[in-house]
Amino acid sequence: MILGVCRRLASGLVTLLLVSWLAFALIHAAPGDPLTSGSSEDERWFLTLTTEHQAEIRALYHLDEPLHRRYARWLQDVARGDLGLSFHDRRPVREKIGERLGTTLGINLVALVLTGLLALPAGGLAAWRSGGAWDRLSGAVVYALYAIPAFWAALLLQIVFSVKLQWLPLYGLISDGGERLGILARLVDRAAHLALPVVCLSYGGLAYLSRFVRASLLENAFGEASRSARARGVGVARLLFRHGLRQAALPMLTLAGFVFPALMSGSVIVETIFSIPGLGSLFTEAVLQRDVPVVMGLTLITSVMTLVGVVAADLGYLLADPRVRRAPG
Amino acid sequence: MPPGSARRLPASLVSGAAVLLALGLIAIVATPLVREDAYRVDLDSILSSPDWSHPLGTDGLGRDLGARVLCGARISLTVGLMAAGLSLLVGLPLGVIAGYCGGIADRIVSRCVEAVLCIPSLVVALALLAAEPRWLGLLPDFLRIALVLGVTGWTPVARYLRAEFLRLGESDLVVSARACGAGSPRIVARHLLPSALAPVLVTAAFTVGASILLEAALSFIGLGVAPPTPTWGGLLSEARYHVSRAWWLALFPGLALFLAVLGCNLFGEGMRDFLDPRSARRP
Repeated sequence: MILGVCRRLASGLVTLLLVSWLAFALIHAAPGDPLTSGSSEDERWFLTLTTEHQAEIRALYHLDEPLHRRYARWLQDVARGDLGLSFHDRRPVREKIGERLGTTLGINLVALVLTGLLALPAGGLAAWRSGGAWDRLSGAVVYALYAIPAFWAALLLQIVFSVKLQWLPLYGLISDGGERLGILARLVDRAAHLALPVVCLSYGGLAYLSRFVRASLLENAFGEASRSARARGVGVARLLFRHGLRQAALPMLTLAGFVFPALMSGSVIVETIFSIPGLGSLFTEAVLQRDVPVVMGLTLITSVMTLVGVVAADLGYLLADPRVRRAPG
Repeated sequence: MPPGSARRLPASLVSGAAVLLALGLIAIVATPLVREDAYRVDLDSILSSPDWSHPLGTDGLGRDLGARVLCGARISLTVGLMAAGLSLLVGLPLGVIAGYCGGIADRIVSRCVEAVLCIPSLVVALALLAAEPRWLGLLPDFLRIALVLGVTGWTPVARYLRAEFLRLGESDLVVSARACGAGSPRIVARHLLPSALAPVLVTAAFTVGASILLEAALSFIGLGVAPPTPTWGGLLSEARYHVSRAWWLALFPGLALFLAVLGCNLFGEGMRDFLDPRSARRP
């Protein structure tokens, strides 16, 4: 048991190193360096300098060292929590990420809670009367939702609710002069601004999770496995909670581990469209400005958070399920 | 299972194939016919709503939206198919090595898969395109994007192939082949791969859809295929600037994108049901 936990942690550590190397190599594996292989304007200003100045700048950013030395140096800095300075405005990357983290986490938390609250009853109802009208309808809707890109959904929602009906604001987080409103009015204002982004962030997860809940309930609570329980006269509620959801909790752990990458991808698109100052729009801005330190910092943070989620989910599995514990490797 | 029922094609496979076939036809036949219209600027009919002369309306420069949407099919399909092909090219050998050799090779490949899975593919693609390494810059736009998507999209292929190989490796199939004196390359090529290929091809079909979506997302953000080349993601990106005046700019390119992805997913799902009838019978 303890051996299993240690083994999982060790392999997680290996993956962590691999992830950090990937994040670094992705951006630095190119021949040349950020100073000359950037966009054409950068190239021009750098090439106008004298050779000595060029060498000086290279040395300043340690670009004159071989790749593995630069990786080691970068890793040391990252381990100390130093993600470097933004190319764009010379501010520490950590500071830029820190001031936007709250917004993104807040919106995603609302979206996650909403997803869970809607997916459980939707999936449960579909499993309870599988093959019924609701099951078939929700199945078709879910199938369509999978294929709808978030940016298209966002545009259509904007057109319907903001332009045609004028119920909700087009973008941003607060209205002009929103700071002067009373507490209640400000809350309503915030909710109106968040409604469309939250819908766009949650419908994909809702589709996935509701089908997932349906499948695992069918298997454990309403399927053949529970035939004997039903024959003994076990009621629907008991079937659902004692047989179904308990079994479904385990695979859901694995799912939770992979929530982070989906959230980040979603935030990049949704925050960009609705002009919300969060991590996603920071990433888009950094990408368009070729701000390599910010891009790398965000990539690293997302992947490390994902890895922590995945390893935590595996450890939870290990603790909860004796079968996994006995299986080798 | 009643005899004969296994041969009937699932409805999803037929409808998915029909959608993809139609898109393929559009990409090959219709795109050259409307190419001129797609680029012709007409400042007299800027942002005109759909009517007889422009069935899907016009954009901010008076270009015919219908022609531009039709042209987008070619880029989307090319990028999607190439990205899926590339992920097969990377994923197949890695999956075979991990699943057949096991041991240390399996550990290495599995760690790599886990590492790549941890970085969202949109983030990897954007980071790669932002860093603009020189070897990428020399390629034409669509090739560059297909390459980036292939680099990020190979993990499901490798994972499924590895799982299939692990499952089949213990089976009588392999044991008897080995007893007959077949060597490893022969076992892999003649016995394991043909049996394991079905789920991999299903995965590839879904990869095409996912790649089309990612390409559109990249073009939407502004790092995909550069304008004025019409792509569905790029058209939607332009629609953002006219969102309060021209609903058709947002509706039709998105609809095309939605149909293409839906077609890929239906095709993949149908193929899975066809190749593995057990999963189709399940409620």
